[in-house]
Amino acid sequence: MASVINFKDFYYAYINEKLVLRDINLTVEKGSFTVVIGPSGAGKTTLCKAITGIIPYYMGGSYAGDVEVLGESTKGKRVSDLSLKVGLMLEDYESQLVSLTAGEEVAFSLLNHGFPAEEVKERTSKALEDVGLPGREDYQLDELSGGQRQRLLLASVLAVHPEIIVLDEPVSAMDPDGAESLYKLLSKIHQEYGTTFVVVEHRVEFVLPYATNFIAVKDGQIAAAGTCEVVADQVYADPELRVLLPELWQVRGELAAKTGAHFSLWRKPADAVDELKAQGFEGGVQAHA
Amino acid sequence: MKITAFSWIIITLAITAWVFILPVKAVATILVLQLVLLLYVKHNRMMLAAIGGLGVFTGMMVLLQMLFGSSLTVSLIGGLRMLVMTMAFLCMLSTTKIQDIAKTLVDRFHLPVEYAFMLTTALRFVPNFLEDSSVTLDAQSCRGYSNRSNALQHLLSYVVVIRPLVMRAVAKSETLALSMELKGFGANTYKNMPREPFTLWDLLALLVVVVLSSYPFWAKFFK
Repeated sequence: MASVINFKDFYYAYINEKLVLRDINLTVEKGSFTVVIGPSGAGKTTLCKAITGIIPYYMGGSYAGDVEVLGESTKGKRVSDLSLKVGLMLEDYESQLVSLTAGEEVAFSLLNHGFPAEEVKERTSKALEDVGLPGREDYQLDELSGGQRQRLLLASVLAVHPEIIVLDEPVSAMDPDGAESLYKLLSKIHQEYGTTFVVVEHRVEFVLPYATNFIAVKDGQIAAAGTCEVVADQVYADPELRVLLPELWQVRGELAAKTGAHFSLWRKPADAVDELKAQGFEGGVQAHA
Repeated sequence: MKITAFSWIIITLAITAWVFILPVKAVATILVLQLVLLLYVKHNRMMLAAIGGLGVFTGMMVLLQMLFGSSLTVSLIGGLRMLVMTMAFLCMLSTTKIQDIAKTLVDRFHLPVEYAFMLTTALRFVPNFLEDSSVTLDAQSCRGYSNRSNALQHLLSYVVVIRPLVMRAVAKSETLALSMELKGFGANTYKNMPREPFTLWDLLALLVVVVLSSYPFWAKFFK
């Protein structure tokens, strides 16, 4: 598969600060659903900003190496031009909404990029429908709940039809139900439009059913990157990063280490139960969910 | 009956001129018309509070003028003029969406985009700011902040609430700036929005503006 994001020996430091990213060599494949994990302060958000060209164009600071997005270097590219291809949703969704009504919010970036009025209207209603807020163009922002605002922000990113969408902890302010339904939505978009997703997430269990690739970041460096199978074993071997893995995979790693048996990669508790039963394990594991 | 933001801005500007060039009776008529319009648009508590607030403020101005030695008539007329001017803005704000006003200011009056954007953004973040301030107040109360003291101490100690609030607002504004950059905010921001259609009502309103604004000329001519 072709790669859409390509980091080559990338180093970065914010102005007057120490290196945040070191020696990043990374490729993200087209159409993948990549999850970025790592302890806080490891440089996950900085990595996201580097993909969207905010670093170094907007933030300044010093860097070395190169980041290629869709075959072109982000060097000297304007953030707003790149945002037509790479959508970004930052953690603080509240301050990213700039308009007074839902419809205007979605239309804002489309109008700025000079799309004709009819197309803007069409795309706005389609995007709102996609995120489960159909026909709410005229709603004031304070009529929407926190979760709905987060969806609205997603709609404003979707409306541009970017090829890559980068999300920095999109469900940080949501309850488990909301988080689950948002990821279901993302996976629907992923399958429907073939969009490449890069998601930073602490609560990995929500993305587990949909993730195709993982990237583990530690102290500004890539600790492991690749498909789930590769990363699960590599990350489990590092005691510091182990706790960041989904609980199911932690159990899987521990069982494998204790018994020497080999397990497939579980996505749901039910998978684990089935396989453990099939392999003759009894007791100890209780089925739930 | 819908008048575009453009006409509203013209009317509001015209009214601020009319209060000086039209006779007092005409200005009083405008005030009555304004009150009728405001109460027709919205007759809830907030509107009454806004009108009442302006009334109280006008009363204070009248008193102040009398304190400095003007006669009662002069003070009342001065108060009336001020009230009509401020009510004109209230009328504009209650009948027109702030987004349309911002757009018109950029599109027709060539106001820099950044200033127009401040209008809408300020309105957008008022609820967030209020929420933040109550959260900060709670947090500082937990740490021993109390507002049960005399007014001066109250004011001084309120700094412990203001400071974190400002820090938070600054941090948020950085995300906002970044987000605007991502959304392509720039010189095109308001220009690409579709223009409001110009109706017969606008034409009528602008005609009235022209006729009333030229009052000093035709008043002299017909005498």
